[in-house]
Amino acid sequence: MGSVLALSSSPGRQNWPFSTDPPPSHWDRRDGRLPNPGSFHSLHRSCKDVFPQQIEGVKMILNKTLSSFFKVSHTLHLSAVSPSYYRFHVEHLQSDDYSKDKDAPALIGEMDSSGSLNAHALLHLTERVRARTVFQTQQSQFVTWQFETEYRGNDFTAAVTVANPDIIRESVILVAHFLQSVSSGLVVGGELVYHRGRAEEGGILTLAGQYSRPNWVATLNAGKGGAHASYYHRANKQIQVGVEFEASTRTQETTTSFGYQMELPEANMVFRGMINSRCIIGGVLEKRLTPLPATLIMGAFVNHRGDKLQVGLGINVG
Amino acid sequence: MQLTLCYFSPVLIMGSVLAASSPNPPPPASGGIGAAPGLTVPPGFGMPSVSPVLPPIGAASGQEQEADSPLPNPGAFDECHRKCKEVFPMQMEGVRLFVNKGLSNHFQVNHTLLLSTTGDSTYRFGATYVGTKQMGPAEFFPVMVGDMDNSGSLNAQIIHQVANRVRSKLAFQTQQNKFVNWQGDAEIKGEDFTATVTLGNPDVLVGSGIVVTHYLQSITPALALGGELVYHRRPGEEGTVVSLVGRYTGSNYIATLTLGSAGAHASYYHKANEQLQLGVEYEASTRMQDTSVSFGYQLDVPKANLLFKGSVDSNWVVGATLEKKLLPLPLSLVLCTFLNHQKNKFQCGFGITIG
Repeated sequence: MGSVLALSSSPGRQNWPFSTDPPPSHWDRRDGRLPNPGSFHSLHRSCKDVFPQQIEGVKMILNKTLSSFFKVSHTLHLSAVSPSYYRFHVEHLQSDDYSKDKDAPALIGEMDSSGSLNAHALLHLTERVRARTVFQTQQSQFVTWQFETEYRGNDFTAAVTVANPDIIRESVILVAHFLQSVSSGLVVGGELVYHRGRAEEGGILTLAGQYSRPNWVATLNAGKGGAHASYYHRANKQIQVGVEFEASTRTQETTTSFGYQMELPEANMVFRGMINSRCIIGGVLEKRLTPLPATLIMGAFVNHRGDKLQVGLGINVG
Repeated sequence: MQLTLCYFSPVLIMGSVLAASSPNPPPPASGGIGAAPGLTVPPGFGMPSVSPVLPPIGAASGQEQEADSPLPNPGAFDECHRKCKEVFPMQMEGVRLFVNKGLSNHFQVNHTLLLSTTGDSTYRFGATYVGTKQMGPAEFFPVMVGDMDNSGSLNAQIIHQVANRVRSKLAFQTQQNKFVNWQGDAEIKGEDFTATVTLGNPDVLVGSGIVVTHYLQSITPALALGGELVYHRRPGEEGTVVSLVGRYTGSNYIATLTLGSAGAHASYYHKANEQLQLGVEYEASTRMQDTSVSFGYQLDVPKANLLFKGSVDSNWVVGATLEKKLLPLPLSLVLCTFLNHQKNKFQCGFGITIG
C-alpha cells in the first residue's frame, strides 16, 4: 500500500545506458554541505535499473523527436498472451535543459488503442517546490488520479501525495514522505500512508535508510507492511550487480532477486540477467544496430516452477 | 577434406509414412536444349548467314540430337515440390539453441535445446555418420543419422548405395518406447527415370502395411511426368490412392502439379535474380475439403549475411523468418514471427545455431 503508480514507459529506462553523466550526485559534496537526498521513489531505483524488464511478444517502438521540447513515440505490441495494442505517447518538456533527467518538468500523455489514458504532469513551480499530477484510466474508467507536492530543501526532501480522493465515496489515500541527509553517505527517512475508506481507515509507517559509497548503495525500507532491502554494486565500468530482498506481511511471502547488467560499448550491447527465489530466470539483450538508429531487444524469462517460458523481441527505432 | 553434409528433413505424407529426403539430390539438369551443329561463317566471307537453330530435318539428325543431349535424370519423386517449399519460412516458437560439432570427417554430433512457450521443453541429441563409399562430388555412403529425445523418442535413418544405381533407405521412429514408423525403401535411378518402392509399417502379425510406389520419367529435358501409387492395408480394409505428377522446368522457374484422388497440389517457383526467389503454392484436399494458397519469398543478402523469408497465406497467416550470420563468430541467429489474423494468435521465437 502506498506505492505510487509509475509511468509505464518511463524515459529513464529506455534511454541509451551509456550516459556520460557522472554517477548520482547525491554522494557528491558541495561546499561541505549535505546534499539533497532526492525523492523517496528513487531510493531503490539504482538497484531496480539493473534488473531486466519482462518482455513478451513483439514490440516495435518508433521514437520521433519533433523539436527539442516535443517528442512523440508510437508503440505497436503484438502479444501471444495479452491482447495486442497500439500506443501513442507524447512528451512536452517544459524546458530543454534536462532532456535525460527522469524528473524533468514535462507533460506526458499516453493513449492506448483500447482507449486507456495515462497522463503525467511534472511541474517545477519554484526552484524548490515541485508538483506532480497523475491520471490513469482503464478504457473509460478512472483508475488513478493523484496529486503530489514535493519540497526540496538544502539537505532534506518532503513530499505529500493525495491519491484517489473521492468525495462521493469518502475515500482517500494520503502519503507523506520525508528524507533527510544525515551525513555525506547516509540518508534517513520515512513514509506515512493514511488510507480511508467508507468502512475502514488506517495508517502505515515505514522507515527508510540508504547508505551510499562511490561504488555501492545499500537501501532498506522497513515497516509494518513489510520490508524491502536492496544492494547495488558497481564492480567496474562494465558490470553492475544488484541484490533485492522483499518481504510482505500482507501476502506473507518473501522474494530474493539477484540481477546483473553487463555493458559492452565496443559491441554496442547491454545484457541484463536476473535470477529469483521464485525460480524465475530471465535475460534481456539490447543491441544497437549501427549505423541504423535502431536497437534490437531480445529477451526470455523462464519460470521453472510453473514451467513457463516467455519470449520477447523488440525493435526501437529513433 | 571438407565434408559437406546435406540437410535431412522428414516429410510426412499420406498414411503417415515417414519419408526422409534422399541426401544431396543430384544437381538439376541444365535443362537447355543442346544447340544443333550449325555453320559459323567467318566475317567477310560473303556467304549467307545460317540460322544457328536448325529444325530437325529428319530422323537421322533427330537421333543425333538425342545422342548429343540425353534426357537427364528427373531426380527423386519427393523433390518435386521441394524447391518451392524451401522458399517458405519455417514456423518456430520459443527459444532454440543448436550446437553442431564435427568430430571428424565422417562423424558429426549435434545438441538441440528447445525451450517452448506452448509445449514441453526438450533436449535432443543427434549423431550423423557418413561412410567412405563415394558416389559423387559430395556424396558418401552409407549415411546413418540418429537422434534421441530427452523423453526417449528416437529417430533413425540409414541410407546406403546398394548397387550402382540402387539406393536403399531404412527409417525408424519411436515415440518414447513405442515404434511409430518403420519403413524401408529402394530407389532406382535410371538414365532418364527414377523409380522408388517404399514399404511402410509392415506388420506381419496384424496383417497391415503400406506400399508406396513412385515413378518419375523425363519426357523432354524440361518436362518430367510421373505417378504415385499408395496401397494401404489393414485387417478388414484395404485401398489404393493414385496420383499423377507433372513438372516443367524453365530457365528460371519450376512449375509442378500433383493430381490425385486425395487432392491437388500445385507449386510454382521463380528465381527473379540472385537475391530474390518467389514461390506460390496451391493445395486442395478432398479429405479435409478445403483449399489454401500460399505466397512466399526469400531474400538473400550475402553481403549482410542475411536471409529473410516471408509468407502470406489464404488462411490469414502472415509469417517471417530472419536469419543472420554473426561473423566472425560461428554463430547464426534466427528470429521468427507468425501471426494468424483469423484466430488472432501470435507466435514468436528465436534461435541460435552454433557451429
